[in-house]
Amino acid sequence: MRIKKKHQAGAARNFITRTQAVKKLQLSLADFRRICIFKGIYPRAPRSAKKANKGSTAPTTFYYTKDIQYLLHEPVIQKFRDHKIFARKLSRALGRGDVSDAKRLDENRPRYRLDMIVKERYPTFLDAVRDLDDALSMLFLFAAMPASDKVSARVTEDAEKLCNQWMAYVARERLLRKVFVSIKGVYYEAEVKGQEVVWLVPFKFPQYVPTDIDFRIMLTFLEFYTTLLQFVLYRLYADAGIVYPPKIDAAKVQGVGGISAYVMEGKREKESLLQTSTIKKAITESEMASRAQTISTVLNKITDHAAGDAIATPADDDDEEEEVTDTLDKFIALPSTDTVISDIIPQPDETSPEEIVKTLFSPFTFYVGREVPLEIVEFAILSLGGTVVSESVLDGYLHVDTDALPDAEEVDFDARQREVDALLQKVTHQVCDRPALASRVPGRIYVQPQWIFDSLNRGRLVPVDEYAVGATLPPHLSPWGDGAGYDPEGFDKEEEGEESEEEVEEVEGDEEVEGDEEVIEVDEDEEDEALQHQRELESEAKGIIYSSTTSKKRKRADKKLKKSAEEKQAEEEKELRKIMMTNKQKKLYNQMQYGIQKKDTRRETLKTKRRKLEKNKQNKKRVL
Amino acid sequence: MAKRKLAGAKEPAANPQTSVQSTGNQQGSKLENVRGRAPRLLIEDEDEDNEDGDEDGYIGDEAEEAEEDELEDESDLEEYDGEDDVSEQFEGLLDGAISDSESEDEAGDEASEGDGEENDADGEPLHFKEDDENEEHEDAAEVITNSVSDDDEEDEYLSKYSAASEAESLSSISSNQDDSRVAYYTTGADGRPRPIYHEIDPHYSSDDSDLEDMNTIGNVPLSAYDEYPHIGYDINGKRIMRPATGSALDSLLDSIEVPEGWTGLIDKESGADLKLTKDELELVKKIQLGENAGDVNPYESTIEWFSSKTEIMALSAAPEPKRRFVPSRHEAKRIMKIVKAIREGRIVPNKPKVRPEDEQPVYDLWADDLQEQQPHVMHIPAPKLAKPTNDESYNPPEEYLPSEEEINAWNETDAMDRERDYLPRKFSSLRTVPRYEDFVRERFERSLDLYLAPRVRKNKLNIDPDSLLPKLPSPQDLRPFPIKCSVTYRGHNGRVRAVSIDSSGLWLATGGDDGTVRIWEVLTGREIWKVTLVDDDEAVQSVEWNPVKDSGILAASAGEKIFLCLPPIFDDETEVTGQELLAAGWGYAAQPAPVEHINKEQQCKWIKPSTKLASQGVDVVIVCRKTVKQIAWHRRGDYFTGVSPEGANMAVLVHQLSKHNTQSPFRKSKGIIQRAQFHPFKPMLYVATQRYVRIYDLSTQSLTKALQPGARWLSSFDIHPQGDNVITGSYDKRVTWHDLDLSTKPYRTLRYHARAVRDVRFHTRLPLFCSASDDGYINVFHGTVYDDLLRNPLLVPLKVLKGHTVVQSLGVLKVVWHPKEAWLFSVGADGTAKLWTS
Repeated sequence: MRIKKKHQAGAARNFITRTQAVKKLQLSLADFRRICIFKGIYPRAPRSAKKANKGSTAPTTFYYTKDIQYLLHEPVIQKFRDHKIFARKLSRALGRGDVSDAKRLDENRPRYRLDMIVKERYPTFLDAVRDLDDALSMLFLFAAMPASDKVSARVTEDAEKLCNQWMAYVARERLLRKVFVSIKGVYYEAEVKGQEVVWLVPFKFPQYVPTDIDFRIMLTFLEFYTTLLQFVLYRLYADAGIVYPPKIDAAKVQGVGGISAYVMEGKREKESLLQTSTIKKAITESEMASRAQTISTVLNKITDHAAGDAIATPADDDDEEEEVTDTLDKFIALPSTDTVISDIIPQPDETSPEEIVKTLFSPFTFYVGREVPLEIVEFAILSLGGTVVSESVLDGYLHVDTDALPDAEEVDFDARQREVDALLQKVTHQVCDRPALASRVPGRIYVQPQWIFDSLNRGRLVPVDEYAVGATLPPHLSPWGDGAGYDPEGFDKEEEGEESEEEVEEVEGDEEVEGDEEVIEVDEDEEDEALQHQRELESEAKGIIYSSTTSKKRKRADKKLKKSAEEKQAEEEKELRKIMMTNKQKKLYNQMQYGIQKKDTRRETLKTKRRKLEKNKQNKKRVL
Repeated sequence: MAKRKLAGAKEPAANPQTSVQSTGNQQGSKLENVRGRAPRLLIEDEDEDNEDGDEDGYIGDEAEEAEEDELEDESDLEEYDGEDDVSEQFEGLLDGAISDSESEDEAGDEASEGDGEENDADGEPLHFKEDDENEEHEDAAEVITNSVSDDDEEDEYLSKYSAASEAESLSSISSNQDDSRVAYYTTGADGRPRPIYHEIDPHYSSDDSDLEDMNTIGNVPLSAYDEYPHIGYDINGKRIMRPATGSALDSLLDSIEVPEGWTGLIDKESGADLKLTKDELELVKKIQLGENAGDVNPYESTIEWFSSKTEIMALSAAPEPKRRFVPSRHEAKRIMKIVKAIREGRIVPNKPKVRPEDEQPVYDLWADDLQEQQPHVMHIPAPKLAKPTNDESYNPPEEYLPSEEEINAWNETDAMDRERDYLPRKFSSLRTVPRYEDFVRERFERSLDLYLAPRVRKNKLNIDPDSLLPKLPSPQDLRPFPIKCSVTYRGHNGRVRAVSIDSSGLWLATGGDDGTVRIWEVLTGREIWKVTLVDDDEAVQSVEWNPVKDSGILAASAGEKIFLCLPPIFDDETEVTGQELLAAGWGYAAQPAPVEHINKEQQCKWIKPSTKLASQGVDVVIVCRKTVKQIAWHRRGDYFTGVSPEGANMAVLVHQLSKHNTQSPFRKSKGIIQRAQFHPFKPMLYVATQRYVRIYDLSTQSLTKALQPGARWLSSFDIHPQGDNVITGSYDKRVTWHDLDLSTKPYRTLRYHARAVRDVRFHTRLPLFCSASDDGYINVFHGTVYDDLLRNPLLVPLKVLKGHTVVQSLGVLKVVWHPKEAWLFSVGADGTAKLWTS
């Protein structure tokens, strides 16, 4: 038998260090980084670093050898090399002052495309949708970023465009499931093609850009994510039967911009419009009415009449009965008999809570105050089928600076005022975020923006009174719950549950006590003995039997003791069983216990804090 | 000349008198030196001065006239050059002029008074120049006219000219008087007033002679002066009055009749109409067109270097090649190529430029719609970010807000070590929420994680941790087992080291550090019998009842001796059989031992006890060389082993009761022997050293197996009644269960004692075993061994018996099971023996 050489197989062969990989690919480190980002190649932690590193224990980054091998034939790498040559030529031309040559070179600079890489990384569409989280978060960040010498205006512009297209799609298809306003920004969760997509959008402020951040890395990621989202959006729009890229309503962009400037045009106009019956009608209406933030119906009507815009008007509903609707048919199974069994398969139901959420706001029109961040509220409202009228847009519409307008246009302010008044007639809710309101319009419900988010997260319209203007808001909870499993809302119930148990016991105790006698309730378990003695004396003086209360107490204590004894035994048994675990199991078990204990302690601290707070509150009330 | 120019440059608006003076002086000195040429020089100078004076706009009328005459006659004068007569004439003339000058001083220019007398001495030419007397002029004219032809017309012209120049000079005087730069006058060296000028800062822009009427209002808009009659201030702080503007009608008329150079602009400086000359307009036009505004002629006539004209000296004599006259086929070919490309649409002329990014088409990338495949085994997808929790909310419940200490702790910890990268904060409303400073950084770090962080697949078990606990039958189903201490046997002083229960289960024998062996009645806990075997300093190490029923023999070891006793607690019958058994060997012992046993007999001696001991029931004493730590009987009750760990190859000795004989089974030392025991029914001897349990077949006298419990120092072991399983206890806290059919390695290693394990024991009948430890606890287990070889033994922990107190870090030292019941006896360092019952 031949003697096997060391480091010729296994981990030593499977993994390759970064230096080796860079050498093998004949790339610079920067290019290697770029290709790794594009291709999604990441370092691995081999099970035994020593084996992978051929006996050395020096800290090293390992890549999977086959990943690197596949890269050898990557066309994009060839483009990188071409680019290097191009850069050399260009610098030479510029050095010689050969401007025309430089220009020609620049026009024909080697460009690469990432679409095939997207396809490679995400062989199916669902794979791509599943991995959108980071892409969206990054794009939304760059959409909010100020253009600088590091981030060109074109990049931020493109990012913003894609983000708006994404939001327009989600809002139109009503896929938004959760909204969470955190201190970092706003988290959204949408269910796209059955996949959960969560992304974070920063608040609309100029972002603070630390100086020590390498934007080349971020921009490389952004490049890939842009390509990815373009293709994903194309597919999504295609599946929804909308034209991609969507047209942009120039008038609306000039207003406040945002998603409602995107005209979601059906591919086969008539067909799609007819098919969409109720929901789509609502959408188009909402879009019409929502000049993003918007004034809109009015504006849209104008444009509609003028340009014969494709936006639907509920004009031709005549032949709707004959049309095939896209609602599902109800399958009714035959009743099963003793001999023949017929199973019932669950069917998606329009009355299911998820479906109800989609049309939660459809009867409402929201008037959004100018102090409310429109981009958040609008997106949420549109996703729930509501209509948005924005104060800021109305202001812009009514008080146009005539000097700024091109002289050809004549603004009929009276007509506009009438239009706006008509629009305001429809408003059911006013979203405002001010400490107080000077005047209120009768018939409107005044809410703070959090009402919209909480309603969306709960899937029902939460009571409005807690969210009134100037009111102290109830806490805004994460729809994903608490990491430690603490439920701030369930806390009250829990406490009540504990108390009610005690009450039941007390009631039992009461029965034993003879009828007419007065009984002093002793609530607190931990009473000073002195105090107790004092009580005893007092009650004796009053002629009340104290023993009844004490006996009750004793009983409770007994019960507790019994309970604790049982627990004790169970615990003992558990300890005995632990003895029989193997080492591996024991380690695992201890690890788990560590995690559980951490959670428990966190839960307990939160609970104690809450109890303290409640007590303080009660004390305050008492004082008052 | 140069000096003169310099002076002129220095004092651009200087009084011409002074300049003339100075030049006059210099010229005077020159005159003296070069007498002969003086007239010409003088005249030349005069001429120059005259010009200067014109420029400055100031000169005396008469002088002017004279000079003009001279000018006219210059050419004629030149003719006199070199002619002495003429020069003499001139000299004479000059002299006359000088003589005149003194008398004319009073009437002469005030300015010239400044010059001193020395000036007078050599300043004649000056006076000649300065003197404006008509007579002199006439003299000069006469002189000149002598040489030049008389011309009336010329005279006329001269008079005319002089009048014009007079007017000019007057105006210039008035303007000069306005000049503020002439600050004040002082008396000069010659007694004449001398103007003193302001210091001039000689930087580039200091020469602002062309900006005389500067409006100094700066950036103030002209409209601010609308209400005032003036439009600003000049450099002296005087008001610049608004120029008279015509009425609206005037301006209309102006617009109709466009005056020369009218631009329709208003000069901001002066408020008057801005007029530009033709040239200026041309210049503006050129600048607008970006043409060369300088004096360059773009339409220079070409120089035909190569032309159709035949040169006399031709550059080339070769005839013109044909290709010069024939259209190029190569070019035609190239053009056709382009034409073709345009026709085919490969080239689109004047194509609008597209951003290369926009060029990239977007299409349905996933059109072929692959079936979802299992990802590659080595692919590790990046983990998603954790979902935000309540404490990240902008309006979290109050209990999430950190307390003061928590905030401090958070601030103190390094950013890397923080559990959360933010501190929960509460905002009363959405509008008060500020931006999040670390947003970009967090995204950046996520990017870094995605491409830099090594990934490893970790299976996260999503199971109930209790499911890891082995499923065991409930202890209730495994009854009976000892659960409580029912009897405590007290009496020993110091530790109780040894315990044994007799085969009937009625009598408990214990031995301790006080050197006594005591027998207790099990049920009552009454001490029945007690014998002190050794002195206080030596302990009873081991006590074992003979397993044979009704023999009543108790073996006890203390120090180097083994005592075989017959406690007087049994009935007569038992006593008799016991005595017979013990006494039977004396006969053998008397006989000479076989040769090979000689050595061993030297090691051990079977002797009769002292009378004192004999009266107390001890019948035989075996004296060994080393301390006997443990005794173990063979099941038949004839052989027993004594283990003295320090005995080297004599560590294990097998004693035969019936023959009072001792054998040493090992020739060599096997290490420090801890325990030795006979197999329950096979002829086998189990010997435990520090690390191993060795199993010897006594019939073949060979080693069959060596168990490796993996412990550092075994303390004890026991053999399952069925013989196939062994448990060991060790000082390093572990108890191992060995299945001899499976392996030499332990089947289970149980580590649940906090201190060293002292003893382990199997129950002889019931599926129970226990371990005793220095932590004072006895752990009782259920241990079923199945006949089916495929089934592993079932071990179930049952009970931890807590009762013994730990004394000097020693707890329970020895345990023994009741032969029939599920009872357990234990002895400990606290000086007690305990009975644990179910």
